[in-house]
Amino acid sequence: MLQQVLREFEHAREPLNLRDLAHKLGVERSALEGMIDYWIRKGRLKDDSAQTVCSSCGSGSACGSEPQGCPFVGKMPRTISLVTPDEAPVSR
Amino acid sequence: MSTTHMSVPTSPSSIRYDHALEAEITRLSSAIAQVPELRSMYRPRWLAIQLLEGDEQLLAEVQSLPAAEAVLRTLEASSAHLRELFGEDVDVLLTDQRYSFVNSLARDVLTHPAERRRTLSEKIDRVVTNRVLSIPIFLALMWIVFKVTTDVVSPFVDWIDGVITGPFTNWVVALVGVVGLSGTWFESLLVDGVIAGVGGVLVFVPVLMSLYLALAILEDSGYMARAAFVMDRLMHTLGLHGKSFLPMIVGFGCTVPAIYATRTLDNEKDRILTGLLVPFMSCSARLPVYILLAAIFFPEHAGLVIFGLYLLGIVTAVLLGFVLKHTLFKSQTHVPFIMELPPYRVPTLKAIWKQMWERTASFVQKAWTVIMVASVVLWFLMAIPLRGSGTFANTELDNSAFATVSRSIAPVFAPLGFGNWEATGSLVTGFVAKEVIISTTAQIYAMDAAAVETEAATFAGELAAIATSFVDATVETLKAIPLIIGINLFPEEAEAEPSSLMIAMRDNFAASSGGHGALAALAFMVFVLLYTPCMVATAAARHEFGNKWMWVSIVGQLVLAWVAALVVFQGGLLLGLG
Repeated sequence: MLQQVLREFEHAREPLNLRDLAHKLGVERSALEGMIDYWIRKGRLKDDSAQTVCSSCGSGSACGSEPQGCPFVGKMPRTISLVTPDEAPVSR
Repeated sequence: MSTTHMSVPTSPSSIRYDHALEAEITRLSSAIAQVPELRSMYRPRWLAIQLLEGDEQLLAEVQSLPAAEAVLRTLEASSAHLRELFGEDVDVLLTDQRYSFVNSLARDVLTHPAERRRTLSEKIDRVVTNRVLSIPIFLALMWIVFKVTTDVVSPFVDWIDGVITGPFTNWVVALVGVVGLSGTWFESLLVDGVIAGVGGVLVFVPVLMSLYLALAILEDSGYMARAAFVMDRLMHTLGLHGKSFLPMIVGFGCTVPAIYATRTLDNEKDRILTGLLVPFMSCSARLPVYILLAAIFFPEHAGLVIFGLYLLGIVTAVLLGFVLKHTLFKSQTHVPFIMELPPYRVPTLKAIWKQMWERTASFVQKAWTVIMVASVVLWFLMAIPLRGSGTFANTELDNSAFATVSRSIAPVFAPLGFGNWEATGSLVTGFVAKEVIISTTAQIYAMDAAAVETEAATFAGELAAIATSFVDATVETLKAIPLIIGINLFPEEAEAEPSSLMIAMRDNFAASSGGHGALAALAFMVFVLLYTPCMVATAAARHEFGNKWMWVSIVGQLVLAWVAALVVFQGGLLLGLG
């Protein structure tokens, strides 16, 4: 099962939707999320949904001075991608 | 790589793994059972599985026992054997088999209806993310957004303009008079510098609020994620990195966070390429420029013109990306990804208000900081004479330092139809921030305009007029809402008289373009769309990609903007347009 998830990532030719992938693999979406989390912990997949921070915006910039971060960074969808060989941890 | 199999036992408490795995688990369990300290604390089979999975805490515990040396030797041998056999870490094998077990168990015990009922989100997605319909739907929504920002809220733009240029200016002038500075350069600095500059930008607050409202509804409802998904698919089809469009969506709000959002791309080449493309997505600061010019030159089709500009930005980014990806940024890295599409939901008023308020507040804050400083500096440049016989704050605008410097650059823009110093000067100051184009324009024409005698009114009378005109603006806005979908429920009213700023700009563009003002204005808007967004975005590009790419970005955008504006103006002339 786990290997199948990785294979789907490796062979995907275009962005996939989490719901469609669960349907394709014939698993519950929650189970797929668990498997994805496992691969993220193992360093084979990565979650790119971390918010970006405008660290270098000065006080002249509207976004750098916002206490709750840049107001223009909206809620972007969570994306998960394969870790490329260059990014893979040495110890794996 | 070998594959593993596991049988589903009758009792879920005793999962049976693949034969090879079971053999090693049994071997290790036996070794563990030989150590009394371990046997007394743990069930040998459980401990064997934990050790094979690499539980560091338990491993440390076993390592601390001198009697467990045989266990460690067996563990090492078993792990090596299984890795060699399956070509994978043992913990992955064990987890994989547990997921398979859970999945088969769920399949055995759960009964699903023969035909799976689709959720509402799935039903909507069948249309919204459909390969054929998705792009037209995306464009239709963009069209509605720009109809709202141009037509629906324009009565409020006029209302704020009326308040700032009327009662508010009168009050400031009266206050200056009270402190005995009436008629001095200080009064001019306040009225022609700060109020004209900052006020000229604040006039567009309703436009920005409506844009942020629309973006907040699209984000909160879950549609924006679909837009990113659909456009990602398109980008991927063109050979670009799929995740490139996520930063671009952020770019509709502001280019600076969009540049930082390129960090989500893994490959350095893809990241730099996306960083070069992001500025072509028209940020919200450019919208007031389009609104002003479209209202002057294309009053009947303002929404269409602005929609076209946004579309041009997307098309430019995609096409340029396609060309660069297949030339300078050639890379074979294929990084597929999956995207979690949240279920659709009815946006909450609280969330929408919060987003709209934060973004609008950010815009207003910028008006009081960056734009105010720029307005003051600009006023001084306009007050210092470099030619003629004028003195400080008492000179013909045409002879000012600002006009003289701008005039020396203006010939560069002559082939584009706007080679006058006024347009050139606003483009130069627009490098600070795009809103400054508006404040500069407002200041130029405010300084140039002759003082208009206004009828004296009482403070109470002016307050009443503000309230009355606000009600009128609200009624006009409500009347304009059905127009979004082309329904006109009310009789046509006479067009409002154009303001002196609008007349002056129309005459100026007409003069610099040999009578083709509309074409020159369109070329000007295209230039504003494509040239360097602002100095903060430039600093962000330097921070993220280094000096070299920052300069490539600045020069590339200027060249592209110049060429595109030239094509629009000269092409339009050749085709007999404008």
